[in-house]
Amino acid sequence: MAEDIILELQGITKIFPGVRALNNVHFQLRRGEVHALMGENGAGKSTFIKVITGVHAPEEGHIYFNGEEVHFKSTLDASALGIAAVYQHPTSYDDLTVTENIFIGHEIIKNGIIQWRQMNKEAEALLARLHANFKVTEEMGALSVAQQQMVEIAKALSTNAKIIILDEPTAALTANESEELYQIVDQLKAEGVSIIFISHRMEDMYRLAQRVTVFRDSQYIGTYDVDQITEAELIKAMVGREISDMFPKPEVTPGKEIFRLENLSRTGYFKDICMNVRAGEIVGLTGLVGAGRTEVMEAACGITKANSGKVFLDGKELRIKQPVDAMKAGLILLPEDRRTQGLIQTWGLGRNVTLPIQEELAHRGFNDEKEERQLAKKYLEDVDTKAVSIFDLASTLSGGNQQKVVVAKALAQKSMKVVIMDEPTKGVDVGAKAEIYSIMGDLALQGYGIVLISSEMPETLGMCDRIYVMCKGRITGCLDRSEATQEKILELAMEQSQKEV
Amino acid sequence: MAGKSGREISATPKGGITKILSWEGALILVFIAVIILGKSISPNYTLNNVLREMQKYLPEIFMMFGMGFILVLGDIDISVGSIVCLCATLTCIAANAGVPFILAALLCILIGTCCGMLNGFLATKFTELPTMIITLGTQIIFRGIAEMSLGSGGSVSYKNSKDIAVLAKKIGPFPISFFLVIILGVVMITVLSRTTFGRKLYAIGSNKTASYYAGIKVQRTRFLCYTILGTLAGLCALFLLSALYGANTTTGQGFEMEVIAMCVFGGIATTGGKGNLIGGLIAAFIIVCLRIALGQINMNTQLILVIIGAMLIVSVLIPQIKNALMPKKQKV
Repeated sequence: MAEDIILELQGITKIFPGVRALNNVHFQLRRGEVHALMGENGAGKSTFIKVITGVHAPEEGHIYFNGEEVHFKSTLDASALGIAAVYQHPTSYDDLTVTENIFIGHEIIKNGIIQWRQMNKEAEALLARLHANFKVTEEMGALSVAQQQMVEIAKALSTNAKIIILDEPTAALTANESEELYQIVDQLKAEGVSIIFISHRMEDMYRLAQRVTVFRDSQYIGTYDVDQITEAELIKAMVGREISDMFPKPEVTPGKEIFRLENLSRTGYFKDICMNVRAGEIVGLTGLVGAGRTEVMEAACGITKANSGKVFLDGKELRIKQPVDAMKAGLILLPEDRRTQGLIQTWGLGRNVTLPIQEELAHRGFNDEKEERQLAKKYLEDVDTKAVSIFDLASTLSGGNQQKVVVAKALAQKSMKVVIMDEPTKGVDVGAKAEIYSIMGDLALQGYGIVLISSEMPETLGMCDRIYVMCKGRITGCLDRSEATQEKILELAMEQSQKEV
Repeated sequence: MAGKSGREISATPKGGITKILSWEGALILVFIAVIILGKSISPNYTLNNVLREMQKYLPEIFMMFGMGFILVLGDIDISVGSIVCLCATLTCIAANAGVPFILAALLCILIGTCCGMLNGFLATKFTELPTMIITLGTQIIFRGIAEMSLGSGGSVSYKNSKDIAVLAKKIGPFPISFFLVIILGVVMITVLSRTTFGRKLYAIGSNKTASYYAGIKVQRTRFLCYTILGTLAGLCALFLLSALYGANTTTGQGFEMEVIAMCVFGGIATTGGKGNLIGGLIAAFIIVCLRIALGQINMNTQLILVIIGAMLIVSVLIPQIKNALMPKKQKV
C-alpha cells in the first residue's frame, strides 16, 4: 500500500432495536494524521466511535488495524491495540490526584504494592510532554476543564495509545485554551500518533485536520481533503441541503431603549457594568469564558444578587429579589446549561414549556391541563421543534432541539420584552444552529430586545447590531456592527489579561 | 413566527391511564390479598375489630401525606417521630395544669407547626446541608426537650381523659380519625396532583436548579412543606393522645421510618419528583391491615417488622427487576 493506513473500517452497520445507527459506513485513518469526523447530532458519530473503541460490536463490516482484520470483543481489545478516547465531559474522579487519574486501571504495581513514586514520575513526564503547568499531586476537581482534558490525554498516552479519539474537546474551552489544545494535537501528530477529531466547530477542523469524513443520517457521505472543500460544500454534505444564509440578520431599525444596566456590580464577579438594548436590536455580550458575562446577566435577572447598580426595563427601574420578579417584568433568561438549568430532563416537553406560566393559566390554583397542552403545542410548533408529541421526554431530544424548547418556554411568557440567550448554540449542530439564528432574527423583527452571550466569533459578528466586550468583570468596549472584526473583539477581550499574564 | 416546516406535534396524551394505574392497581391487589389473608388466618378479622385496632395506626397516616410532599421535593424529614413525642408531652402537661381542652388541642397542633417551621428554616437557610442530617439533629433536640419536660418519671398521663376521649369517638363503626384520613387524603392528593403547588413540588424534586431558573420560589415552597408536615405531626400527636391517654419517652419512636416506608411502598421515590399519594394511601392501609392480621394471631412484633421490611425492599426492587426483564429501547 502506498499510504500508511493504521485503521480502516469498511461497510460498518450497527443496528439497535428499531434503529439503524450506522448504515454501511467507511473510514480510513492514516498514521500521524488528524482526521476530522463531522456530521449533525444523531448522524452516528458517537456510535461509530463506540465501534472503534470496542463498546459496540457491529452487525456487519470489517475493521482492519495495520492491515490486519481485528474483532473487538470489548473495550480492552481496542485499548490493547492502542486506541483511546477522550470524551467531551472528562470521565475523571474529582477527588483523586492527577497521577491517580492517569494510572487508574493500570497502576504500576510491584509485589502487590502500588509504586507511587514511579507513577508520579511517569505522570510528571507525561505532563511535561504536554507542556502542562500543574502538579501531578493536585486533585482533579481543582483543575479547569482544559487541564482535565490534558490529564485525559496524558492517560491515553500512558497506555501507549497509537490512535487518540477526541470527542468535541473544544466545546468547553476558551479561545486561549483551544489554542493550547491545538498545539498539543500538532505535537502528538508530529510524534506519529493518529487522531480522530470530532467537533461542531469549523475553526477546529480548518486549524487541525488534513482530511474530514462526513456522516449524515447514519450514512457515510464522503471523505474530503480539508484544503479542497469549501465551507459551503461541507455544510451541504453535513446538512443535506444548502444553507443559503447562515446568519439571517434582519434589517431592523432599532426602536426606543427597552433595557439598560447602570453601574451594576457584584463583588468578585463584575464591576460597573453599563449597557443598553433597544427594541428590535440584537446586542452581543462577548469576552473570554470567565470574563463575567453570564454572571452579569444572572444578576440582572435575579438569579444572583448584585451588590449595587440599577436595572431598567422600559424606562422603569426594576426591583428584583428573585428570578420570578424579572420574568414577570419581561426579562427572560435562557440559561447557558440547557441540561441542568434550562429544562427538567425527566419531564415531557409540554410541561417544561408551561412551567413558568402554569400559575397564570391556573384557575384558583388548579392546573388547566387542557390549555397548557394547547399552548405548549403552539409554541413548540412555532419554533419548529423536532418532536412527535409534547409528551416526549426532554432528555430524548438533541441539543439543538432542547434549545428550541427553551426558546418556546420563553415565548410562552407573554410578559417577555427582552430575551437574554446565554450560549444558545453551544453543542448544537450546524443545521439546528441556522434555525436558532433564524428564530433570533424573527424575534428581533417582532420588536423584542435580544442579548446574545456567546463565545463563538462568527455568530457574534453575524447576528449582532452591537457587541459589548468584557474582560475580567468589566466592559472594555462596545463595537458597532459595521466596525466589529474578530481582531478588535479579541483585543478588547484580552486587553487586561495580557498585561497581567 | 417560524414553524417553517409545518411539522405538527401531537398534544394528545397517550393512554396514560394504564401507566398511572399500574403501580396503584398492583397495590390494590396486594391490599385485597392482605384482607383475604387476614380473614383466613384469624377468626377475629372482622370489619369492626380491624377498625378498632386501626385507631392507633391511623394518626400516622396523617403524617404520611406530609411526608409524601417532602419526599416528592427530594427532601426527607426524620424528626417527625420526635415532634409527635414533644407535642403529646407538652399537651398533656398543659392540660394537666388546667388549660382547657380546646386550647390544649390547638397548642398541640401549634407546637407541631413550630417544629416543622424550625425544620423548614434550617433546611432553607443551610441549603448545602443534607436534610437527613438537619432533621437528625432536630430529631434529637425535639426528643431531648420532651424528655426534659417529662422529668425523672419519663411519662405523663392525660388526667382529664374524658375530654380527649371525644376524639376517639366513632360514627358507626368508623373512628373519627378514619374520616380525617379520608378528608386529608382527598385534599392532599388533589393538591399534589392537580394544583400548581403540587406541580412545583415535582419540578423542584426533579431539578431544583431548573425550577429556580423557571421562577419557582424553591426555598419558600420547601419551607411550606416542612411546616405542613409539622402541623400534621401535631395532629397525629393529638389523636394518639386520644388512644393512649398519655405520653412517655418512647411515644412516636420509629414513626418517621414507618411513615417513610408507607410512602416508598406506595411508589414515591426518595430521590424526588416521582410517585403520588394515592399509592401512599393504599400502601399505608396495606401495612396497617397486615399488622393487625399478624397481630391477631399473636405473631411476634419483631417478626412483623421483619416481614414489613422485606415487603418494602421487594417493592423498591420491582421496578428494577422489570427493567432487567424488559430492557428499554437502547438510545443511540
